[in-house]
Amino acid sequence: MTIELNKPVISEESYSLWSGRINVRVKVAGAGKPLIYFHPAGGLVWDPFLSTLADEYTVYAPEFPGTSAGDPYAIRALADLSDAVLIYDELIRQIGAVNPVLIGQSFGGMLAAELAAHFPHITDKLVLMDPVGLWRDDLPFTHWMAVAPDDLPALLFDDPTSAAAKAFLTPPEDPEIALSAAAAMVWALGCTGKLTWPIPDRGLRKRLHRVTASTLIVWGENDRLIPAGYAAEFESLIDKSRVAIIPGSGHVPQIEQLSPTLDVVREFLHGSANRT
Amino acid sequence: MKITLFEQAPYRFLPPDFENKYASVCDTPYSLTTREGVYDSMRDFLDELMHGARLGFDGIAITEHGQNCYDMVPNPDIIASALAYMTEVEQLDTAIFPMGRSLGKAREPLRVAEEYSMIDVMSGGRLVAGFPIGLHYDASINNGIPPIEIRPRFDENLELVLRAWTDPNPFAWNGQFNQYPQVNLWPRPLQPQPPVWITGIGNPRTMQMCLERNFAFNYVSWFGAKLTGKRIFDRFWEVADQVGVPRNPYRLGFLQTIAVAETDARAEQEYGPHLEYAFRKGLGTIPPHTLMMPGGIDIRGVEALMRDPSDFGLYQQMQHVTFRELVDAGVVIVGSPETVREQIAEFCTEYGIGNLHAMLGFGSLPKDLAFKNIELFSKEVAPHLRGIWADSEHQHHWWPERLGGTPTPATAGVSATESAAPKNVVTVKEVAAK
Repeated sequence: MTIELNKPVISEESYSLWSGRINVRVKVAGAGKPLIYFHPAGGLVWDPFLSTLADEYTVYAPEFPGTSAGDPYAIRALADLSDAVLIYDELIRQIGAVNPVLIGQSFGGMLAAELAAHFPHITDKLVLMDPVGLWRDDLPFTHWMAVAPDDLPALLFDDPTSAAAKAFLTPPEDPEIALSAAAAMVWALGCTGKLTWPIPDRGLRKRLHRVTASTLIVWGENDRLIPAGYAAEFESLIDKSRVAIIPGSGHVPQIEQLSPTLDVVREFLHGSANRT
Repeated sequence: MKITLFEQAPYRFLPPDFENKYASVCDTPYSLTTREGVYDSMRDFLDELMHGARLGFDGIAITEHGQNCYDMVPNPDIIASALAYMTEVEQLDTAIFPMGRSLGKAREPLRVAEEYSMIDVMSGGRLVAGFPIGLHYDASINNGIPPIEIRPRFDENLELVLRAWTDPNPFAWNGQFNQYPQVNLWPRPLQPQPPVWITGIGNPRTMQMCLERNFAFNYVSWFGAKLTGKRIFDRFWEVADQVGVPRNPYRLGFLQTIAVAETDARAEQEYGPHLEYAFRKGLGTIPPHTLMMPGGIDIRGVEALMRDPSDFGLYQQMQHVTFRELVDAGVVIVGSPETVREQIAEFCTEYGIGNLHAMLGFGSLPKDLAFKNIELFSKEVAPHLRGIWADSEHQHHWWPERLGGTPTPATAGVSATESAAPKNVVTVKEVAAK
């Protein structure tokens, strides 16, 4: 099923934070109640999932420090997870978003969960999509930064040959732009890797009990990067949470199975905050 | 010219089909070893280095690699300390040269400062202190350091080590990566500041740092002068000109794998299989992505590498490399003493190399052949090379005084990390400048 969509106008805003130590760039589109999107480890990619959400929400997509074009060394200001959490909290207050929906994918899921755990009042709706942040010895996985580039597509997607996966994986036609984008992605992995290497667990397990937001945990059934078994683990640690497994999807359900993913997310968002 | 004997400690008894099945780093199965094989590999490595010391090499050199089968030296300082004591007892005036302890990998830089201090004391002031920034697989996969932290850790750790050696008074250290309430090393090095060498593979920022800060630079590419050398050495001396320091050959060291026999034919026959072993079961089976992990290379460096990967040379092509290919590419210099000395003299002179690190043990080479290589090189090759630069006006400022050097201390200059320092970290240099 194809989704009819008009790509919204995406603007870019820059926020000076931390007494001027750091500028965070935010892509913004849509109209309506605020929604903050936390991108995965390889950097922000605006996709049809976000465009569709922009029909109903003002979508703010901050770029993790160091991942913004032309500002790679912003990462140097960040020493640890605590710095990142405080930067994002300050950003959300500067944006002026009141009770924003928080949606995070993979690494972004860890950030969103950490934010909701550190600051329980920040939101009453949290969506975690194949989030990292927990580790169980019986659910081991290889860190994506240690995977050979050729092996990554098969780990990211249930079917790396599908049209959706191919569209995601195909580089831009212009070789200069393609080279720049590839280098930017590598650097973005390096920046976000500061908070996930060697094992993407900075203690989130100790804090998830603090999350009071209604939480939807979305997981691709065939996620070969982060096992779907972690969905139940997150569910057991977050009080008002439930799991939605997306069949026929790997680690990135919003790309590989856009329609069912949108269905479960919109159903959750439209429901009341008291009912997960 | 200074000539050191350099060796790694490979496991010498890997199965013939190893390179078709395994990586040589990180997850290499230890079940491939036997206890006898490990002992013999380590013992022969030490015996060969001591043999070089007794035969008059200017220095004996080793380096650091963890969790791998081609250099079982996760901490070179352990080896260096054994060599320091033995050479002192035998009254051998040779430099102890770990190339050496990686500061981008180290979580305990004070331990590094202390180890080097002890080695310098045990050797009577013969330490040459090498500091690689850090191989990605070693710092990140083996030791858990996020790749993007390797260079910043190196920078902070190096400052701490230098200050711990030279500050006469106890001091506190409140860095981003290390906090110590009081640093006051006992012992400190006998040398006022051991000569500092940075081991690298060609990053221009590293070169700039060395040249500005009065560190010597070890170029360790494994691929020989012919393939990658010209580009790297041209780059190095251009940066030297830009920085405004003289083209002093003694500030540059170069590693070359060398195999000498009575004749060219005998050299091929005796050393060939072991050279193939060394490259196939070592460099040739390092997964390339583990050498270039995200964040470990500056974004502009990533772009440059994507345009032109040649700095990383031929790692992958080494997996099934033949002896003939190694020789033709100049990766190894093999043959009779005449053959060998001519080639080495040529590139050392052309590229301004004042320190030759001769890798004379390699791969599965058994001890008797390693001894032969070391002896032939020492008697028939080294004497012809030592006189290079004898007539130059330059002095060796990166060699211990006890061994004839005129060492000069580190100076201020750029960091290893490409970026502005965060504003809330006040460096020792900034304080000193006030």
